[in-house]
Amino acid sequence: MDKKNKMISKKIAQFRGWIQGLATLLTNIHLPNFFKGKIYQGNGKKICVPGLNCYSCPAASGACPIGSFQAVVGSSHFKFAYYITGFFILLGVTLGRFICGFLCPFGWFQDLLHKIPTKKFSTEKLKTLRYLKYVILVVFVILLPVLMTNSIGMGNPFFCKYICPQGVLEGAIPLSLGNAAIRSALGKLFTFKSVILVSVIVLSILFYRPFCKWICPLGAIYSLFNKVSLLSIQVEHDKCVGCQQCTKACKMDVNVLKTPNHPECIRCGACMKVCPKNAIHYQFMGKDVSKDKNKLKEK
Amino acid sequence: MNLSKNIFKIVTLSAVLALTACSTKTNSAVSNTTQSSSSSETAGETDPELNDLYQQENQLFADHKEAWDKAFNMMNKGNADPSADYAEYLASAVEGNKDEFTEEEYKTLTEDLEKIREIEKKIAELESKQSTSASSEESSSESSFADLSGVDFDGNKVDKSLFSKNAVTVLNFWFTGCKPCVEELPKLNELNEAIKAKGGEVVGINTDTFNGSGSAIKDAKKVLEQQGAKYRNLSIDSSCDVGQYASNIMAFPTTVLVDRNGKIVGDPLLGGVDNQENYDALMKQIESVIAADSAAK
Repeated sequence: MDKKNKMISKKIAQFRGWIQGLATLLTNIHLPNFFKGKIYQGNGKKICVPGLNCYSCPAASGACPIGSFQAVVGSSHFKFAYYITGFFILLGVTLGRFICGFLCPFGWFQDLLHKIPTKKFSTEKLKTLRYLKYVILVVFVILLPVLMTNSIGMGNPFFCKYICPQGVLEGAIPLSLGNAAIRSALGKLFTFKSVILVSVIVLSILFYRPFCKWICPLGAIYSLFNKVSLLSIQVEHDKCVGCQQCTKACKMDVNVLKTPNHPECIRCGACMKVCPKNAIHYQFMGKDVSKDKNKLKEK
Repeated sequence: MNLSKNIFKIVTLSAVLALTACSTKTNSAVSNTTQSSSSSETAGETDPELNDLYQQENQLFADHKEAWDKAFNMMNKGNADPSADYAEYLASAVEGNKDEFTEEEYKTLTEDLEKIREIEKKIAELESKQSTSASSEESSSESSFADLSGVDFDGNKVDKSLFSKNAVTVLNFWFTGCKPCVEELPKLNELNEAIKAKGGEVVGINTDTFNGSGSAIKDAKKVLEQQGAKYRNLSIDSSCDVGQYASNIMAFPTTVLVDRNGKIVGDPLLGGVDNQENYDALMKQIESVIAADSAAK
């Protein structure tokens, strides 16, 4: 029992909820703005945050990378968003979808919703829907903003405008509560996106992280780096007894033993928590994050 | 397992509390605005209260008419300073002519003076309350532009007198990278043509061009040309009143109507006038401002 608790990987996984809460707070640090009905417009907004977090959230500390990407490729001034693409590559190569599991505010939101005690359903049979998020990334985040432009070359941020439920949750709802002028301007689009938000909320209660699995273009980008990222998950096969507890525990439907760094893995560490042999842990640049190897050698 | 359940309970509880806190906050914000209007009403109602206090003073003078008349007669009216404390003014008159009064008269006068001092104190309180509520009313209402400074896109200086030249000025706040803003430009031009003869003008305020950035003005000019918008556009100083107003706008485009005196009329319109519904609603408002202006003449 003592040895188990000393393992860093397991500890990280155990404190995931707190890390998520802290990350959400840091991503939305300007809390008093909620009551003012205003958004922060300072220099922090020139930087992207790692998770999916609306620029128009009154408290937001930085800009949403997906929103920024669409704004840049859709503007008449720029052809391509080099800075934001570089940002995706940097974070993707360093952490991969660890960001989804630990740093994304909308991921945390879904995690909390899933804790509401009801009957839960498996997404095992809905695996094909996983590919939808890549379609959304290519079509709504890249192609439509670039191609569907007006006479002077300006595009719409299609994903933000027509899909993103985080925009309604963090942007439209708090802003309209605090700002009468914005309240008066809410129209059909708001109704439509509220329906999306409500659907995501209901689905999140019944399924684990449906938005991350099927829709999120940011998760789709980070997933591409999961196999090559500096942070990874390692299974020590000499310790493994093949009990398959890890795969059973994985809510992202990943076969942990076969593909521990599957694109769908959000590195939540549920597998580490259940492994009876402590055979699964985080690795950074090939080095174990957990101390138990050294501990074993000492013993 | 138990720990996580407890954590979950705490989180949901705090979420619920946070939500309720939010709603009470907004409620209180709403009630604040209603409060300020009701306080202005009570400010009007304090007049009878003040009157009552003055009556109390007069009653004292009437009750001891002889003594007070004697005192009043001794006062040098030329010295009367209405801004000074009235009670002290009376007291100095009584004290200065102490020898002229009988002992009994002096006693009643000093007793009355005490009462008058108290009444005066109340009056001063009420008056200061009224004036602060009046001034706070003025400062809290953002319904007027105190100043405007900047240049139009051809380099001509503009100031607040811009408003006085038209019955209504339609101020359209936009920026060059804002798609809905750019898309309503042709319709705004149409609106400008339609209201020109009636004494209205559309004026664009491009927030990218604040404080006269040359390249931003060039970009904006190009977009205006492409969209066929020929009405005036301004590059204003961000520090002026209109600039401050613009920095608080959370959604673009925003359009506001300003009357001849620089006063903002009605609520700002969020969203483009290329939506016919918005255009019609704005037109209706414009017409009513023009009608009010000609009625005032």
